[in-house]
Amino acid sequence: MYGWIWRHLPGNAWLRALISVVLTLAVVYVLFQYIFPWAEPLLPFNDSTVNDK
Amino acid sequence: MAVTTDETEEQTRAPETVPRRRGTGRIAMAVSVFGELLITAGLVLGLFVVYSLWWTNVLADREAGKEANNVRDNWASGDGGPGALDTKDGIGFLHVPAMRNGEVLVKKGTSTKILNGGVAGYYTNPVKATLPGSDKDGNFTLAAHRDGHGAKFHNIDKLKEGDSIVFETRDNWYVYKVYDTLTETSKYNVKVLSNVPKESGMKKAGKYITLTTCTPVYTSRYRYIVWGELERVERVNAERTLPKELR
Repeated sequence: MYGWIWRHLPGNAWLRALISVVLTLAVVYVLFQYIFPWAEPLLPFNDSTVNDK
Repeated sequence: MAVTTDETEEQTRAPETVPRRRGTGRIAMAVSVFGELLITAGLVLGLFVVYSLWWTNVLADREAGKEANNVRDNWASGDGGPGALDTKDGIGFLHVPAMRNGEVLVKKGTSTKILNGGVAGYYTNPVKATLPGSDKDGNFTLAAHRDGHGAKFHNIDKLKEGDSIVFETRDNWYVYKVYDTLTETSKYNVKVLSNVPKESGMKKAGKYITLTTCTPVYTSRYRYIVWGELERVERVNAERTLPKELR
């Protein structure tokens, strides 16, 4: 999978490495900004109130 | 010697493996993609831990810091009498020296949205908190996160009997003393929020404070409760001199 991506990136090794870093950062950004905030309330790790529900 | 034997072995093996490659190639590829997906899943889970234990703290502290400044600015400029006090950003600050985390902004409500802002919230549901400023007997009930989103009550287990909890408003310091803790209770135990919290051994009406958060750390299986009783109220002076508990 990663090998396939690497082979399909343009340019020489340095350019490919640079693009890979940018892609990785983009993925981390999307995770932190959208995916994790959405997933967190669905997981039972962080309720701190008592309630009758 | 070793090198040459290896080479000859490879040469002899090569004709065998080449024709077989097409068949095993697909399986090998599927296995390697599967393996890469597993590694990716592991990395994503690792990042989720980083997110919940570190990044949410950064965001929450930033937000709470801004609101805390608004509250302080409001107090400094608020000469319009008590009725004009704007409590949208918070009603005051909680200082718990034993928790060693400075001041915690207190806001209305205990919804996820409020608590995720790095503050302590006072209960409006299922039992309404009695605010210290109301001068009525009752229970000032608060909740905050144990981990992530500011982790304001992370060190709640450091609170022992006799420790002070100080609540600061524009005009007063309310000094409470811890008299009982409940290290583990059901999350449905709303009786801990009663105006007279019987589970703490109190039977008479009085001015109490209750802190709630989740326990054990990093999970929310149970709730940790700390009860305190009002010891005295100090007027805030012009220099906002800290009460002796905070010095």
